[in-house]
Amino acid sequence: MIPYAIKEGLAGFRRASFSSVAATSAMTVALVMVGLFVIITWQARGVSEWLKQRVGEVELFLEDTTNEMAEALYQRAQATPGVAETEYISRERAQEIFREEFGEEAEVFFDGAFLPASIRVRVEPAYVNTDSLNSLVTEFSSWNRVDEVVYNRPLLAKVQDNLQLLSMIGFSICFLVLIASIFLVANTIRLAIYSRRLMIRTMKLVGATDGFIRKPFIVEGILQGLISSVLAIFILWVLHVVARTYVPQLAGMEASSVIMFAFLMLFAGFLLGWVGSESAVRRFLKHISLH
Amino acid sequence: MIELSNVSISYRNPDQPAKPVLENVSLLIERGEMVYLVGPTGSGKSSLLRLMYMENKPDRGFVQVSDYRSDAIKASEIPYLRRSLGVVFQDFQLLPDRSIFDNVAFAQYATGSRGKAVKSKVLHVLSRVGLSHKRRQFPHELSGGEQQRVVIARAIINDPWIILADEPTGNLDPTVADEIQRLLIGLHRSGMTVIMATHDYRMVRNFPARTLAVMNRRIVEVDPRSLQG
Repeated sequence: MIPYAIKEGLAGFRRASFSSVAATSAMTVALVMVGLFVIITWQARGVSEWLKQRVGEVELFLEDTTNEMAEALYQRAQATPGVAETEYISRERAQEIFREEFGEEAEVFFDGAFLPASIRVRVEPAYVNTDSLNSLVTEFSSWNRVDEVVYNRPLLAKVQDNLQLLSMIGFSICFLVLIASIFLVANTIRLAIYSRRLMIRTMKLVGATDGFIRKPFIVEGILQGLISSVLAIFILWVLHVVARTYVPQLAGMEASSVIMFAFLMLFAGFLLGWVGSESAVRRFLKHISLH
Repeated sequence: MIELSNVSISYRNPDQPAKPVLENVSLLIERGEMVYLVGPTGSGKSSLLRLMYMENKPDRGFVQVSDYRSDAIKASEIPYLRRSLGVVFQDFQLLPDRSIFDNVAFAQYATGSRGKAVKSKVLHVLSRVGLSHKRRQFPHELSGGEQQRVVIARAIINDPWIILADEPTGNLDPTVADEIQRLLIGLHRSGMTVIMATHDYRMVRNFPARTLAVMNRRIVEVDPRSLQG
């Protein structure tokens, strides 16, 4: 036998169809907003990682040294914490690069092998900030046979500042949208519950406990939340597909990420429906008059 | 037993000073009594009933209904007090989207009863108020008198020992009002305590019982046959 609260919760969805649709729509809008920000944040994180990888390159210019010594420095750099990749650029390779970049005019500078050998270090994204890079530079500079260590300090500062500003703006907007969504959902659920004040009043009058009265509303709220999640996932999927046709550079999501995202959305809908209906009905029960 | 001991209560509106409704009132109603509360509109009859089903608590003094005292009862105990009461209002307050059967059964479900016993009990109380043949109909398909009978059926289905009726015949024509009154008297004769607020003095004279007049923030016992109007 289906428990009374579930039966009534399901029936409530049918009986008060208008208020149920309103509450479900409000929750769908809220979840789409939240989901959209999760996706945007995720995409932005990809862009920021890419940018950091570009900026987080450190060049170790070596003094005149033997191949064995250069190889040892290369190994040492690779084993340094925070280093993602290393590349050894010999004097010959440096000249080749110079020639590739400057073409025929490069010959003017040619006076033997004037460019030093170097090790190009690509730093892990987590280490791409002024402090970490400075300490890496200090460490590399202290090594024997390392003549000079450089990285693009002004570009890094600029990227760092802009990313900070962008993430602050993003989080502020996300916070505002989240507050507005919660407000919208709470008010819609409150209205939906108000439309059934007669039922609540009757239950209180005949001696139903507050917990008993709350249960069907919570079941209904959870159901609305789950339906909203499914709708929001579908809307977000359509938006993502449309966005990728216009901006193909946008990263696609792996199957495991999609499943995790869907579960998160379902959980968010469940939570929104539960907390929204529970708090609204609790507040209503506190103030309802029986006459 | 219902006891009011030195009870005072006031209405509080946000922008106005508190308006006293009852002052230092004491009253005892024994189990099985039939009592009318009479008095002009706004005299405090409904406030008195609200004190009994503990929607409001007195500012001073206490109200005792069975073992529940207003100055000691916890919020979580109020539903259990209300299970021993049946409340009937002037506006019927039936659920419009449920059949008559479901409206009455609702009071059973709301207090945790389940199964076949609910069905037989609903049919029993509906036949007691003479409406078992209309159990599949909806409230809007019934007359005012019939709707009030459904409300009475809903009020008695949980076997309360008190019926609190607040102007139950206020919206009904005299013939139908008398039918409802006979029904309430029948419940009283079967052992229930019936406390009914009314300003229909004709009915009080026709069906005399203990009559309490609520006036000037006091309660005085009056002879029902002496009521004029």
